[in-house]
Amino acid sequence: MTDAALTSNALEVRDLSRTFGARKALDGVDFDLPTGAFLSIFGPNGAGKSTLLKVLSTLTPPSKGSAKVLGLDVVEGAVELRERIGFISHNPLLYPDLSAEENLEFFAEIYCIDRPKERIRELLDAVELDHRRLDLVRTFSRGMLQRLSIARALLHDPALIYLDEPYSGLDPHAMDILDGLIERVREGRTFVMVSHDLSKGLELCSHALILSKGRIVLFQDKDLIDEDEFHQTYRSTVGLGVS
Amino acid sequence: MSSWRQFKAILKKDIVMELRTKEMLTSMGLYALLVLVVYYITLSQAGADFEVRRIAAGLLWLVFIFTSLLGLNRSLVHEKDQGCLEALLISPTDRPVIFFGKAVGNLIFLLIVEALIVPLFFFIFLARPGAQAGGPVWMLALALILGSIGIAGVGTLLATMSVNTKGKDFILAVLFIPIMFPLLLAVVAGSAAVLQADPEYVRTFWQMMGLAAGYDVIMLLAAFGLYEFVLGA
Repeated sequence: MTDAALTSNALEVRDLSRTFGARKALDGVDFDLPTGAFLSIFGPNGAGKSTLLKVLSTLTPPSKGSAKVLGLDVVEGAVELRERIGFISHNPLLYPDLSAEENLEFFAEIYCIDRPKERIRELLDAVELDHRRLDLVRTFSRGMLQRLSIARALLHDPALIYLDEPYSGLDPHAMDILDGLIERVREGRTFVMVSHDLSKGLELCSHALILSKGRIVLFQDKDLIDEDEFHQTYRSTVGLGVS
Repeated sequence: MSSWRQFKAILKKDIVMELRTKEMLTSMGLYALLVLVVYYITLSQAGADFEVRRIAAGLLWLVFIFTSLLGLNRSLVHEKDQGCLEALLISPTDRPVIFFGKAVGNLIFLLIVEALIVPLFFFIFLARPGAQAGGPVWMLALALILGSIGIAGVGTLLATMSVNTKGKDFILAVLFIPIMFPLLLAVVAGSAAVLQADPEYVRTFWQMMGLAAGYDVIMLLAAFGLYEFVLGA
């Protein structure tokens, strides 16, 4: 039984702050997210969304406060936590001069996956890229890159997946494929997504969070959200802009 | 998690990518060749009596220092360009494993360039009829290997530090050469002792190799300890 299974919350964020010099990117962020939830984070540019994702994914340590992900502290339990999280970004995080299969083989070795060949074949099949497995990633379209990026993030079967504007730059067809893939792997996993696309973010989420100037403006269960009110809050937040 | 498996994966990936693109080897090799051409033009003006052997070690290491700067920059830019470094950092790979994977890759590429350039350098500048014979080749090879280990180790650390900065080429050079000074002094003196083979050259050579090996050990340990901090900065 894992810590995540024992705790009902996938995320426990307490008074989290992150400063870069004099600038406060995150200022006293505090919330809990239940295991299995889908959190969409919204906010204007410079609101602290990406910094929050970086702290929660162990890339950046917090300056103050604490964050537990799947029951593990992001600083003290970082190494163990990295085995259990996946990251999908608008940047594919793939090597363009390696083939799709070579990229996945590399990450399978990095995650020390047992029987990597079978897992890679299974994932390439799932993201409908089996026919292009030997092609260099630099020849892939944006949509194909994003599908391969999902395969990379799922290689080690993570319990929590971070999505940093995953729909950015995708055409409608590629967006539909990505929707389908997320839907297929959603069961039993927690998702945290940063997005500028309000309708897409609200469509997918179970919880929504609006950040502005590093602070939480709104954090709500989707069932309790009044969409008009939500849009109004978001518009007024964007109006606040970046300091 | 097996660090050895992760190390092998990083090294294999760098070698496969380099064999496919030949980006680092081509740029480093061509640059080194061009420097040899410049040396040839310069030394052709020095007169027939000029003993190139007296300055050969310095000339050789000058090529390798500037050539390695080109390669070191490229090795981290690959990781940075597509955000792949982020993917590695978010994986359960210990930071020192990433460091050793990248450093050993850089060492292999530098040694390949040296293996091509050293014979050419001898052929152009030192293989003259009646020229003085130097010490054994293995001694020169040892100096090259010890020097290259230091260059690859310190260079990988500094390239990681500078990859996020605006003037990364300039910053790498400005940091690299002063920090490499003790190693350069040791390997140039050691290589010069072998090439000139003056009396007592063996003792001078081993003293210098001891200094170079000590530098390598200290700097590799420092890089090992600092890499996590450098990546997090």
